[in-house]
Amino acid sequence: MKTDSEIAHLRRVSHWKLYLAVLLIVFGIVFVLSLNLGYAHIPFSDILTILAKQVPILDNLVGSSNILPKHEVIIVQIRLPRVICGALVGAALAAAGVTYQGIFRNPMADPYVIGASTGASLGAALVIVLGVGVSLLGVNSLQILAFVGSLITVLLVYNISRVGSRVPVTTLLLTGIAVSLFQNAIVTFLKVIAEESLLHGLVFWIIGSLAPTESWDKVWAILPFILIGTAVAYLYSRDLNILALGEDQAQHLGVEIEKVKTILLVSGALMTAAAVSISGLIGFVGLIIPHLTRVLVGPDHRVLLPTSAIVGASFLMICDALSRVVMGSGEAPVGVITALSGAPFFIYLLRRKRKGYTV
Amino acid sequence: MEKSVKYVLATLIIVVLVVAVYAYIAHQGVDEFEGGDLVDDMGYSLTLTSPPERIVSLAPSNTEILFAVGAGDKVVGVTNFCNYPYDFAAWVEAGNMTSIGSFKNPSVEPIVVLDPDLVLASKQSVDAVASLRNLGVNVLVLDAKNISGVLRDILLIGRAADRYSEAVALESDLRQKIDAIANQAADATSTPKVYHEVYPSMSAGPETFIDELITLAGGENIFHDASTRYPTVSSEAVIEKNPDIMVFPDKYMGREQFSETMEDVKNRPGWELISAVQTDAIYEINSDIISRAGPRLADALETLAKMIHPEIFGQP
Repeated sequence: MKTDSEIAHLRRVSHWKLYLAVLLIVFGIVFVLSLNLGYAHIPFSDILTILAKQVPILDNLVGSSNILPKHEVIIVQIRLPRVICGALVGAALAAAGVTYQGIFRNPMADPYVIGASTGASLGAALVIVLGVGVSLLGVNSLQILAFVGSLITVLLVYNISRVGSRVPVTTLLLTGIAVSLFQNAIVTFLKVIAEESLLHGLVFWIIGSLAPTESWDKVWAILPFILIGTAVAYLYSRDLNILALGEDQAQHLGVEIEKVKTILLVSGALMTAAAVSISGLIGFVGLIIPHLTRVLVGPDHRVLLPTSAIVGASFLMICDALSRVVMGSGEAPVGVITALSGAPFFIYLLRRKRKGYTV
Repeated sequence: MEKSVKYVLATLIIVVLVVAVYAYIAHQGVDEFEGGDLVDDMGYSLTLTSPPERIVSLAPSNTEILFAVGAGDKVVGVTNFCNYPYDFAAWVEAGNMTSIGSFKNPSVEPIVVLDPDLVLASKQSVDAVASLRNLGVNVLVLDAKNISGVLRDILLIGRAADRYSEAVALESDLRQKIDAIANQAADATSTPKVYHEVYPSMSAGPETFIDELITLAGGENIFHDASTRYPTVSSEAVIEKNPDIMVFPDKYMGREQFSETMEDVKNRPGWELISAVQTDAIYEINSDIISRAGPRLADALETLAKMIHPEIFGQP
């Protein structure tokens, strides 16, 4: 006998296409609406006209009429890249969260679980406090070292955890914690020796903000990593489903476990590193969005992964739009908004639907 | 009256006079220590019975004030960040000065080892203060929130370090300089809008020295209305507020790792619309002088005044 809530859950899972369609529409609405929010007051109709002007064919239909050049610059060169970066970072963190929760079969796993965040902060701290400089193709070295720090840490943790040809997930988790603590200690030390005027920069980076993403350079810098990472994770989503049965079981079913784990870990690390390199440490999205989406569409990773990416993108765009408008001419820290708005909603969902909830 | 009584009286008068004159001369000879009862910026009362001879400074601003009032010879300990008026790092290396470490949460032991008779702390070292006071060390906490607070602290440090007359002279010099600039700036016909970047995407808001100095120099800080002291600001808000003058700290600007020079700033997306970029009114300022609660705030004011009102104060 299935209980009512289990039946309700199965019905919900079978309606995933509907959910996905609705979420895509929500994504589109959020995207346009968050372009509407910001310090400058730009009429919504002007925003639509400005957007239409960017599309070659629509270009001729809308008159350039009475739109301020300043507003066009703000929408096209500042808000648009920032909103797109918000969507990319949100999608990357949520997709990496799904991937890591799947690999570790652990609901506590998030994109930062094996050191991606502390590796990135260490890279950032080295640049800000000690002035370590690497210049590459015009991308600033803060971004480069945060990206490299994050990626190297995950690979380091992975290699330390390797026992023969296997990488047991428990060892991986514990190594991740140990390496994170080690790196965190260095960051703390750097914070202590940092001059006050430099400390502003480090604290700002660690809190996380999408304010530094207001340029198309940033979009191009992260887009390839996030697209490739998500695509690879999606290709292996069937294997993630089988991994959920346990590694031994998966092995029997013909999954090359170690290879799949490595590929998924690296793609998750790529996405996370790209995200943190431009926005700093934005918490909560990578942990909670996968769970929230699982409540909606069920645990099948083939559905869960893309849906989580869409929900994560929409969620971070909303939070960033709020961060831009709730504090007047300044901005509120986006990480605070993600946690303040997301946590209560998640707890509500968890309590309401806990019967049908599985990782 | 008996002759002998007259002699006794005369002798007494002479003795009293001699004693009085001697006491007066002796009094002149020993400079009276005016330190006495002190109240620091946290409202803590401290009584010094004799002039301190071994002073430890726990903040770059305190070090600058100590040397400015002529008490530099009494300083036996500074922080790693003290770099003015002398290159203290070189002094420490040469063994002529001791560094107690960071100005943020310093540990107590290296301070106690120096056996100081006065420690000048800041809000950043307030945890160490309680421990030091428990150990019987004389500590004053300096925490000036604005320029008048800094001027008060100069007098306080002068009194505590037995350099009161020097402190009074310095205070009145600085006050005159600041008032003179502020008065001249007040006559300006325009109030240019000023953007001061503390860090990329971060500016200075109300209740900062930067905000106060911009206002005194006859400008308007575009983020004076922010709700935090160091607000995160979007590029869009800067463009929309359209500052006439932009000021960047030398700590960041031009440093290789941020791969951004003053020229690059002009190429930030959309910034070509900003008046300061169009008129090339972009300047760099020494971030120490504009952020430390010390005597060089007057220099920072002068520098800013030249940037904001070159027609009055001359080109920066």
